Amino acid sequence: MTQRKEHLVGDLSEFPENSHKVVKVGRREIGIFNIGGEFYGLPNICPHQTGPLCEGKTTTGTLVARKDNDWRFEWDYEGEIVACPWHGLEYHVPTGRCLAFSNIKVRTYKVVVEDGKVKVRV
Amino acid sequence: MAETVARQKKRKERLEDILVVDCDVHVHESPKELAPYCDMPWRKALENIADVEEYYLDIPGFSPGMTWYEARFPSGHEGRRMVHTAEQMREELSEIYVDIGILFPDHLLKIAMITQADYASALARAYNTWLLDKWCSQEMGLLGCVIACPQDPEDAAREIRRYAGEPEIVGVYLPCAGLEPLWGHRKYDPIYEAAQEMDLPVLLHSVTVVHPVFPFNLHVFETEFGRHICGHTFSIMANLVHMISSGVPVRYPQLRIALTEVGISWVPFLMNRMDKEYLERRREIPILEERPSYYMKKFYYATQPVEEPENLRDLVTLMNLYDGEDQTIFASDWPHHDFDHPSKVHQIPFSNEVRRKVFGDNALRLFKIDAQGRRLNL
Repeated sequence: MTQRKEHLVGDLSEFPENSHKVVKVGRREIGIFNIGGEFYGLPNICPHQTGPLCEGKTTTGTLVARKDNDWRFEWDYEGEIVACPWHGLEYHVPTGRCLAFSNIKVRTYKVVVEDGKVKVRV
Repeated sequence: MAETVARQKKRKERLEDILVVDCDVHVHESPKELAPYCDMPWRKALENIADVEEYYLDIPGFSPGMTWYEARFPSGHEGRRMVHTAEQMREELSEIYVDIGILFPDHLLKIAMITQADYASALARAYNTWLLDKWCSQEMGLLGCVIACPQDPEDAAREIRRYAGEPEIVGVYLPCAGLEPLWGHRKYDPIYEAAQEMDLPVLLHSVTVVHPVFPFNLHVFETEFGRHICGHTFSIMANLVHMISSGVPVRYPQLRIALTEVGISWVPFLMNRMDKEYLERRREIPILEERPSYYMKKFYYATQPVEEPENLRDLVTLMNLYDGEDQTIFASDWPHHDFDHPSKVHQIPFSNEVRRKVFGDNALRLFKIDAQGRRLNL
């Protein structure tokens, strides 16, 4: 197995809290998310129809329903959901989990911040 | 046969090497855009709403919508993608390998809901002129359909004849959403006459509209043929979609649900439509833990009125599409006029095992009875 390498993707100031943007690492496009100071990386491609998953304008929460709340709407995952701009398929950024289809999970990239620099491990 | 085999062996052609004609793409026509093309006094009305904030296909006085009635949660997926110019359209279609796009409107998908007939026909005329002026271009592979205004079929027929000679107009768009009466009504004959005479196809296109009766305005049908086909099927489909969207099978996971007197051919259709919508609209129905077809495959479907395709094997294929061998139950509907004799279902080329299931075993499971009809759950 090849060793994961850290790639510098920019200064911390370019990734303000609660924003995200797509960076290129070699031929890959990776969405770098800063959610409340925690950094996450997801591939910028939706497994549904290859849409630019991480180019969704903003991350939001989403609606869920649980039995212990009589299946009422609840707003959850505030700031952690990105919706593919093509068809709206929602993903939980920290885990890469697709909300509509539990068997779908996109890979996640480890993103680290060191000395004011943001690096992604690929 | 040999030729087919030879062809299969060839490498699959790439999309970019195939001619792709996309029969439905949408231009964005705002009131401001159409105003200069519109007759008075209606132009005044369009100018008056030129700067109204635009929700997706929802502008008061232009494209009546549901935006005003429901909570609007923030989302990264606004679903408000629009194409404003022919150049933008060309560029975006090229990105998805489309060579030729057939143009339909955005807001005017709802033109049939406009109550003032003169306003509706003025809008249709303005759109038709604007479309040809600003969008249609054979060089760019953008071809248009003129709107046939249902509120004024005579005017629509004139418009069809007026534009039929334009090389970049290739069809007639029949707006379906909110339409009353439906397109089968004789009042629309002038539109069909004109389209046929001018040798232009008509293309039906709908959009989500819910309105006191539409899309269930089946009372306009003059035939039992129409009422019987659509009445049963639409009613069951609407009810079933509603049950799935309110999570009945999630809230009542042990509940057994059966659908009767609708035949079975619509089942794969509805499953696939719901799964497709679920992709985009999961958050409206977060109660679902699986895609809609997962639940539909647990329901029971009675055969009557069983479809009678020329090739009865098609029914086996249909059933396989919804994993139906354990979920399909025989029904005759005796003594009604459209009852099915069991011999018809018996002719279907099932295996002996599946035939037994369909004729009896599945129903035993549904009702929890034994072969003597005794309840097993008392």
